[in-house]
Amino acid sequence: MTAAIRTVDLTRSFPSGIALDGLTLEVEQGEVLALLGPNGAGKTTTVRLLNGILAPDRGYAEVLGIDPAVDAEAVRRRTGVLTEHAGLDERLTARENLVLTARMRGIDTAWAERRTADLLERFGMADRADVLVQGTSTGQRKRLALARALLHDPDILFLDEPTSGLDPTATRDVIELIGALASEHGRTVVLCTHFLGEAGRLADRMAVLHLGVLHAFGRPRELAAELWDGIDAELDLGEPISPTSADALRNERGVIAVTPTTSGGRVRVTDREVVPHLVRHLVTLGDAVYGAAARPPTLEDVYFAVEARIAAAEGRDISPRSTDVFSGAVEVTS
Amino acid sequence: MRWPVMRAIIAKDLIAVGRSKAVVIPMLAVPALLMVVLPLFVGIAARAPEDPNVGSILNSMPGDLADPILSLPAREQLIVLVNGYLLAPLFLIVPLMVSAVLAADAFAGEKERKTLESLLHLPISDRELFFSKLLTAFIPAIAVSWIGFIAFCIVSNTVAWPVLHRIFVPTSLWLVMILWVAPAVATLGLAVMVRVSARARTSQEANQLGGAVILPLIFLAVGQSSGLLLVDLPISIAIGAAIWVIALWLVRGGAKRFTRDQLAAKV
Repeated sequence: MTAAIRTVDLTRSFPSGIALDGLTLEVEQGEVLALLGPNGAGKTTTVRLLNGILAPDRGYAEVLGIDPAVDAEAVRRRTGVLTEHAGLDERLTARENLVLTARMRGIDTAWAERRTADLLERFGMADRADVLVQGTSTGQRKRLALARALLHDPDILFLDEPTSGLDPTATRDVIELIGALASEHGRTVVLCTHFLGEAGRLADRMAVLHLGVLHAFGRPRELAAELWDGIDAELDLGEPISPTSADALRNERGVIAVTPTTSGGRVRVTDREVVPHLVRHLVTLGDAVYGAAARPPTLEDVYFAVEARIAAAEGRDISPRSTDVFSGAVEVTS
Repeated sequence: MRWPVMRAIIAKDLIAVGRSKAVVIPMLAVPALLMVVLPLFVGIAARAPEDPNVGSILNSMPGDLADPILSLPAREQLIVLVNGYLLAPLFLIVPLMVSAVLAADAFAGEKERKTLESLLHLPISDRELFFSKLLTAFIPAIAVSWIGFIAFCIVSNTVAWPVLHRIFVPTSLWLVMILWVAPAVATLGLAVMVRVSARARTSQEANQLGGAVILPLIFLAVGQSSGLLLVDLPISIAIGAAIWVIALWLVRGGAKRFTRDQLAAKV
């Protein structure tokens, strides 16, 4: 596949410090990349550099084969951006926001009006089209901002915290919309977020930034293989595994870690052949086993493992999350 | 630069400004006071039973300016002095104030409303963005000034008619002031304020910085020179030209230094 985005040693500083330090990565066409990291990680700076509104101090980027530092307008003609704040003018109506943005993109008025009407319909905003934006909810604003980002049918969508400030229902709606948009016409999506749930549902690959440095980049499964050995399985015992049973499993061959859960336990084992043996062993101990299933590593698992590795490298203490499947697998030193 | 794109930016800003009472009311109140209320009161005062005495004021003015007014009947002197001459320097507040208020909002207002970043992500060149923002302030400043001046002429001539029995404004000096000096002053004000606005975080900060420090200095300079403007047509044209030169130099400098990068770094 051709790379939709390529960056090499992309670096940018501000008077307050380095915002992005030597970012090198490639995003394929049609791929959804989750750009993850806490606030100040460099996600927004990355989008600004890729869309040519900031110039790099060092390194370069190619977006659809164009260097944004050389021809930013050509890049921006083919990208759509949803900024963290919807960025709509509250003093204008939903329709005016879209039509005027289309005209600012150089789209002629008649076409802009038709496209706006289509998008408002598609995003469920037709009945609010002529209402001032200040009278709309946060969820409606996000949908409107997404519609605005799609006015010119962009090849790449940059979505910066698309669900921040939304209630659960609106979050679900926006995620479904993004999922649909990502599958259209092989569109590439760069999703900047610190909400791991949405990233996990949408992303093909993930990149974890911390203080401007890329710490992990790849598919969650590949990254998991780099970060820890073995595979994970979920044991359904109907209740949390008892300390005695957990200790017994830990002493079995091929068991790397055991973590109690509300309905049983999660085990990390060297290979899947170990799992039936553990089930048999639990039954001999008198435990009822209702189910056992391999559990592929999720983006969330990988993210927290990377975060723990960063913390360890920085000499910070990090408390294992009670729900973290891999809490026993990531060694953290302080 | 692409005019349709610039027109869209200007339209967006003007529609939004038009719906903002907090901006529109003060922007129209001062011109209404200067261009309608004041000449109306002067005209009414001139029609009072006792003759208004403006001799002492006229005697303190340069002979070239005072002599033609002194030759008029006492009742006409007040109207011609105030509406024909003394309001002229005050009139320059209008383009300066309107352009400054709108220019202060140009970028700082976008930052405040959190709309700047989405604007920067559009395929608009830095020059198109900068000049669109200038025009967004310039067009209403000139429109308000010119419409205000037309209202001023109508009000002044109407209230003065029973006394003067002739149309006395606009004079040639007034026309130079309106068509030549006022646009220059508006450009000067917005050239300063757009640069201030790009650096400020909020419109209030931009207004404070521009309104408290820079604009009073400009106004003092313009006010002083407008006294000269009343003396002689060639001098008034020359002073207007000088203001244009400074204003355009500031605009050129602002356009050269204006970059998205600087603006985005402060969002």
